[in-house]
Amino acid sequence: MSTAPRSLTDRPTLWPWLLLTPLALYLAIFFLVPLAQVAWMSVSEPTPGFGNYADALTGTLFRKVMLNTFFTAALVAFCCLLVGYPLAWLMTKTTPARATAILLLITMSFWTSFLVRTYAWMVLLGRNGPVAWAIEALGYGEPPQMLFTRFASTLAMVHILAPYMIMNIYSVMTKIDPALIRSAESMGARGGSLMRHVYLPLTAPGIANGAVLVFVICLGFYVTPVLLGSPREQMAAGLIGRQIEEFLAFGPGSAMAMILLAVTLVILAVYHRRFGLDRLYG
Amino acid sequence: MNASLRLIGIFAIVFIAAPLLIVVPMSLSTSASLQFPPPGLWLGYYASYFTDMSWLRPTWNSLVIAFFTTLLTMALVVPATFALVRHRFYGKSVANLMMLMPLAVPHIVMAVGYYSYFGDLRLVFSKTGVVLAHTCLSVPITFLVLSANLKGFDRNLERAARSLGATPRQVFVHITLPILRPSLTISALFAFIQSFDETVVALFISGRDAETLPRKMFDSIRQEADPVIAVISTLLFLIVALALLAPHAMRLTRRMLATASRRTTPRDQT
Amino acid sequence: MTSYLTLSGVNKQYGAFTALDHVDLDVEKGEFVTFLGPSGSGKTTTLMIIAGFEDATDGAVEVAGQSLAGLAPQDRNIGIVFQNYALFPHKTAAENVYFPLQMRSVKRAEGLARAEEMLTLVGLEGFGHRYPKELSGGQQQRVALARALVFEPDLLLLDEPLGALDKNLREQMQIEIKRIQRKLGVTTIFVTHDQSEAMSMSDRIVVFDKGNIQQAGRPLDIYHRPQTRFVADFIGETNLFDATVTDAAARRAQSPVLGEVSYAAEGLPALADGQEVALVLRPEQMKLSRDPVPGRMNAAMTVETIVNFGDSALVIGRHGGTPIRVRLHGADVVILKEGDAATVSWTEDAVYVVTR
Repeated sequence: MSTAPRSLTDRPTLWPWLLLTPLALYLAIFFLVPLAQVAWMSVSEPTPGFGNYADALTGTLFRKVMLNTFFTAALVAFCCLLVGYPLAWLMTKTTPARATAILLLITMSFWTSFLVRTYAWMVLLGRNGPVAWAIEALGYGEPPQMLFTRFASTLAMVHILAPYMIMNIYSVMTKIDPALIRSAESMGARGGSLMRHVYLPLTAPGIANGAVLVFVICLGFYVTPVLLGSPREQMAAGLIGRQIEEFLAFGPGSAMAMILLAVTLVILAVYHRRFGLDRLYG
Repeated sequence: MNASLRLIGIFAIVFIAAPLLIVVPMSLSTSASLQFPPPGLWLGYYASYFTDMSWLRPTWNSLVIAFFTTLLTMALVVPATFALVRHRFYGKSVANLMMLMPLAVPHIVMAVGYYSYFGDLRLVFSKTGVVLAHTCLSVPITFLVLSANLKGFDRNLERAARSLGATPRQVFVHITLPILRPSLTISALFAFIQSFDETVVALFISGRDAETLPRKMFDSIRQEADPVIAVISTLLFLIVALALLAPHAMRLTRRMLATASRRTTPRDQT
Repeated sequence: MTSYLTLSGVNKQYGAFTALDHVDLDVEKGEFVTFLGPSGSGKTTTLMIIAGFEDATDGAVEVAGQSLAGLAPQDRNIGIVFQNYALFPHKTAAENVYFPLQMRSVKRAEGLARAEEMLTLVGLEGFGHRYPKELSGGQQQRVALARALVFEPDLLLLDEPLGALDKNLREQMQIEIKRIQRKLGVTTIFVTHDQSEAMSMSDRIVVFDKGNIQQAGRPLDIYHRPQTRFVADFIGETNLFDATVTDAAARRAQSPVLGEVSYAAEGLPALADGQEVALVLRPEQMKLSRDPVPGRMNAAMTVETIVNFGDSALVIGRHGGTPIRVRLHGADVVILKEGDAATVSWTEDAVYVVTR
């Protein structure tokens, strides 16, 4: 006697494909084709060839913008770590009720539209805003120009991306066995050395996850730098946007977009090799 | 060491909370510019938001676009997630990666692509175009949320239902779907919010007719802040805050009621 | 004996791996049969094949003379209780029990009434409106049992249903399951790796190992007359001594530890002179004394460890390099200390031979 496989897990192999096909087709038509169109425009507009890439890579503007983008992304990732690590640590040390409250605050920030958060920084750092008001009230004299500077856009991006970092670090911190910390303490590790030899190595995966995530998102950031940053210190996405919107320079814009995409993908691919992508966003 | 870490931690809390809270007083300010402290309080800008078509129309557009994006995303992602979580097949890891791809591509790159692609398809400046684009961008997050939940689903529940006389279709309708409903709701919510908040692609392809709320907000902020922006920001923030706080508030009330009733009823009842 | 559930020549291959190797089994109507074996022995695979969740690579399964081949799980009329109970979390206890009736198009009011009746039978009167997460482990277990029985299945399959319960509750549920099974007279297959559970509940035990049925029989027969080395070792405490048959006709064997011994005649496999075998001696069938006891077989040993259980004690000693375990009852133990030289003694009919 022999019957066709009927158990819950091994149905005929056609079935998963049937379930997957609509989405695969959809992504092919509305994701891959437009992406391919960018690639195509980058080598065909206005004239066929790799001129756009050559121009972008040899021209000073794009190089300066790319460097600035990398620098900003690294700075934002670093600042997110500075803000996020102590906060995640605080959440593991404080009472459960307070930890829940902090978690709620972070979730709230995460879910609040980042345009709203960008706007909030505009209010905070504005010429007549609370920060300027406080500087004056404390007697430090005329407040400096804060809006439309690298300072403002960096601060806002740190605020917007910090939840990614915090959640990544917090999730590894909560998994640390408290007995491990107690035993390290019993062996004489205190304060700084406990942090350096026990806590930091154990939370390193969370830090790496958070940093890569923040860095990669930051590379492609458009809205916040455009609205808050200095026009003289553009980031890559802003430059690409201007090529399209203002100059209708589809070829050069597409080439820059492809370079930005390539950089992002290389970073993610390296990360994927080592840890797997789904963990990054999981 | 610990004390300084704690201090930075508390500072971080203020850093995260302050921008969220600042928009509330600003929305009530009488001042048309971003002045702090507000010279006076009134609800005038709320009134202008709810009467001004130039704000209401983008809000409506965004709701419509987010709604259809959610619908389309779920229709595509739910079956695909079942396939990817529950079956082994050749090419599965490639399919998995494909689901996550839109997350890896900066939105500005997609914006450039859609701008030209939808131009060719005559979909640019239409709600349909924005829905089609947003659906792609919503796929990864929806998939991640749903697959995490589906992986945790106890297959014995389905086996039990089968043994009790349910056909595969009945199992799906009576068991699988109801148990997954909360996860489906949450992943749909992710898709909705992803679309409702998406700015960059909408900026390039929504045009005047399909103008979304984020696009309107972006333009308005860029052109020196219409005070109504504070109203919308407050509303958007409050919706999130309420949605997140409501379950906690409910749990707290229930617990308080439970303690209260335990005090008034005999022990053996509980 | 009329067979109600019949497995004949059931094979299950996963690629090159043989999960079940030609399993034959007959179960009578109303019988309570336990599949006992370590994990990976094939007992759960057999259960899944009966239930229809796995297909046999070869062989046939019949219930009441009807082949189950080609029948989907929902058409087999078999009740199953899973190890984790698999209660539907979105349905109340009563709705869970009503579910199989609902699938059989029983009206809701009538179905819920029958569900309530069933819940009463399993001792959960008045718990119908509760959701699974509001019930204790033992209560969930009872709901799962009620749900698997309410539609009067031809067979009841229990897949390690007591594994998640603590010891006291487990014993209580053993009695409870047995009571309900007797009352309803439903033919039951119970899967477990816990031998005491198998001993206390079953009409018959089927011992599985490596995809084979090692032995099937009444609990006491399995305990006292193990037919394979695996069964002897797996069931209860055992002393196993390697030996060589010296005279098969006279039932005598030579063991390095026990010396020249004769063995019991019952349940013997076919043996030849010079065959390598193992001798089985249960710890409670041996006695300890200072000097050899006339009329019994004797061997010397040195006492190493005495573990006291209150009502009995386990004495672990050694003869050469081989450990010997002896279980003593009551006051017998007080005369011994660790390090003493002693004699173990036994009678001929306590020694069983299993092949190696």
